[in-house]
Amino acid sequence: MLTGDLIRPRLRKRGDQIQVDWLPDNPFWRRSAQDLITLFSQCLHQPRAQWERAVEKYEGERTDYIVLRGLAKVLSDAADFTPLDMSLDPEELRRFLFAQGPVFPQTDLFHPQSRQAVLQSSAQELGLTPDQLEHFLFADRPIENILADLGPAWTPETLIARYNLELARGVLYWASQLTIDIYDSYKDFWRYLKLFKLMFAASPHPQAGYHVILDGPISPFVQATTRYGRQFAAFLPALFLCDRWQMNAEIHIPAYDAVLQYHLDNHSTLLSHFKKSGEFDSRLEADFAAEFGSKFGETRGHWQLAREDEVILLGDTVLIPDFSFTHRKDGRRAIIEIMGFWHPEYLRRKLEKVRAANRHNLLLLVYEGVNLAKTALKDIPGEVLYFPNKPVLKDVLEAVERVAE
Amino acid sequence: MASTVFFQGGTLVLNDFGATEQPPQPFQWIKGHWRCEAYHYGALRSWFSENHIRDTVPRWEQLNYALHDSRQPHAYQQAALDAWENAAHQGSIVLPTGAGKTFVAIHAIHRVNRSAVVVAPTIDLLHQWYARLVNAFQTEVGVYYGGEKLVLPLTVTTYHSASDLIAQNGNAFKLLIFDEVHHLPAPSWGETALMSPSPFRLGLTATYPEEHEQADGRWRLEDLLGPIVYTEKIDDLVGEQLAEYRTERIRIDLTPAERQRYDADFAIYSNFFRSRQLQRTHGAGWLMELMRLSAFDHEARRALLARQRLQALLSNAEGKWTVLDQLLREYFHEQVLIFTENNAVAYAIARHHLIPIITHETKAAERKHILDHFQTGHYRAIVTSRVLNEGVDVPEAKVAIVLGGTASAREYIQRLGRVLRKVGNRQAVLFEVIARNTVDEGKAQRRRPRKAY
Repeated sequence: MLTGDLIRPRLRKRGDQIQVDWLPDNPFWRRSAQDLITLFSQCLHQPRAQWERAVEKYEGERTDYIVLRGLAKVLSDAADFTPLDMSLDPEELRRFLFAQGPVFPQTDLFHPQSRQAVLQSSAQELGLTPDQLEHFLFADRPIENILADLGPAWTPETLIARYNLELARGVLYWASQLTIDIYDSYKDFWRYLKLFKLMFAASPHPQAGYHVILDGPISPFVQATTRYGRQFAAFLPALFLCDRWQMNAEIHIPAYDAVLQYHLDNHSTLLSHFKKSGEFDSRLEADFAAEFGSKFGETRGHWQLAREDEVILLGDTVLIPDFSFTHRKDGRRAIIEIMGFWHPEYLRRKLEKVRAANRHNLLLLVYEGVNLAKTALKDIPGEVLYFPNKPVLKDVLEAVERVAE
Repeated sequence: MASTVFFQGGTLVLNDFGATEQPPQPFQWIKGHWRCEAYHYGALRSWFSENHIRDTVPRWEQLNYALHDSRQPHAYQQAALDAWENAAHQGSIVLPTGAGKTFVAIHAIHRVNRSAVVVAPTIDLLHQWYARLVNAFQTEVGVYYGGEKLVLPLTVTTYHSASDLIAQNGNAFKLLIFDEVHHLPAPSWGETALMSPSPFRLGLTATYPEEHEQADGRWRLEDLLGPIVYTEKIDDLVGEQLAEYRTERIRIDLTPAERQRYDADFAIYSNFFRSRQLQRTHGAGWLMELMRLSAFDHEARRALLARQRLQALLSNAEGKWTVLDQLLREYFHEQVLIFTENNAVAYAIARHHLIPIITHETKAAERKHILDHFQTGHYRAIVTSRVLNEGVDVPEAKVAIVLGGTASAREYIQRLGRVLRKVGNRQAVLFEVIARNTVDEGKAQRRRPRKAY
């Protein structure tokens, strides 16, 4: 992620709003982006210091150096720098050599050995060459790390897009709270929310979607902490995976003494580099959906199958049932959760959630060989249906008829 | 189902405790659970046990470290420790500079004998605490800051990094110690104390903050740590800190090539500076303003670059290398400290003369090794780029060589007063190596101790 000094100069205050001065994707900036990408690829297998010098040289006297440094940082961050492969620990080498210092190029009465002679004899003792000693002496400094992998195959367009995304994220460093409205494609949103350990309070919108407030554990107890800003920033690209959303953040930048608002929504052209999760969590789910589709299709039968179209809010967590059945005529609904060959701890948490959801129209499809005592499922609201290999569609539909409400 | 209480990101959370039940005051119903700041942990412990709430908060352990420091605490140090213990292990001890605050803390850790975390204001002080704790307990000590993150039962961190450490591992420490605790009222730093469940808390300072320094959105130390439990004013403890040393100034000439580059860059820089009158319009903030301008004003950008080149040239002038070479030969039998303007020059000197180097990149263990072995004379010199700052114990040296530096007079005295001590009749000496007819001279002038010292 970009550092604050590379972000602040790209921000503009408009009334109580803070806006990012996006980098336009035009021929001028594409050219600069391409130049940096080329320079970067020329530094492959070279120390980081060389790349940093190349950027400095490229900046020259340009006044837009903050953008150039930002673009360069995006390249560095996505790449892989690794320590030099050494037969000797540099710190050991320093202890060994420094014990013989200070040395001088020329000898005198008290320093009968020149620097060269000290290196020569030390190298001999260590079974290396003097050049290797010079090379290894500070090889553990970050600046000596070798650019081992360039990362993604950048084009000027993708680099500019990613830079703009990093600016959008960076504003959130100074955010105390995020308010988000999402209207669809929830699954990844909740998944990433968990991944970045953010806390949320969510309430459903009357029509569809959710109103979500994000902060961290200590937020309710202090005035306006920006402690979670980095986590917000890390999380942001997950929003771009949703189709319809808007976000508002409260921003506290020390340089402006007012609290500013930062707004983004799905009209922004920002692209996420996060991965969308696969459509199905497990083979069982995929097979189930396929079988339903082939037998009933989209338009036949009374029941419409949908995937993960509902979020059940449970305090600080959510349950997103795998499937739902909605009756085409009377609108009755049943929700389905499949429990397959999962880890016992995962099953335990899943059951906890199912209980907490307390939904009587929930149908739990449980694989018979699952690592779970049958008694553990006794007081589940709704209905439990066991299956030997895969859920039998006919049985499922019968159960759906029973529990749907 | 039995209720439990657990630690989460600086808060205490009750599990399986109904919304309709009524836990004590600090708890609030937030996001489906009763929650409160972890800071209340000490006061809530009896309520947890009375109500059979399983307490999963403490992750601290017994240390059982032997104390490898044969020095006996002074009477006032003993009294301070007793007072803190009698105040339920909560509160601040106010001792003058040089009165052995670290020593008091070491004894506090030893008496409590449970996992402890020390929060220090700077990375330099963190390193100093690390070295003192390793020496005192002869055990591995954790360090947690930007450069290194190792959490152990005894861990040192900075105010800056403490909040992350406490949010994740706050319940790993029974004792929370704040060094230079007068920094704690700052809004984000005080949050750290709020997020910690440690029932035992110790603040250390020579300058307890005034009432007005703990108001207006700033935290009150008494709320976060407990009251002042002990104050000692030992007037004379401080007086003898300043060492006796003499300053010698060595002027070097730039080489003709350096002079040419210098004059060219100086012209660019000073013309801009004069024409825009930055100092008049922006006072001490002129450099910030120059940096701001340089992002769109081409002249400003050129001036800033010229200034950077000037500094690089001066810090690395050939004449300074020659003088350094001579001084190191001349004082080959002395312990020498070398201060440079920047990291690049420090590393170049370390490489050229094979001298141990300490910078902000140097890890705690290597740094301790270097300082320890300098003390014993195993290493004869150390080169550093301004990281051995005020308030940090550095080994005594007879000779200090300053090859650059923009330090203020106060910092200068505090830094070098610690470093250079007169032993017997032999006076310590500070060499300032400056380039003649350059901005170096003005800098050194500003750096000279004023009469008041």
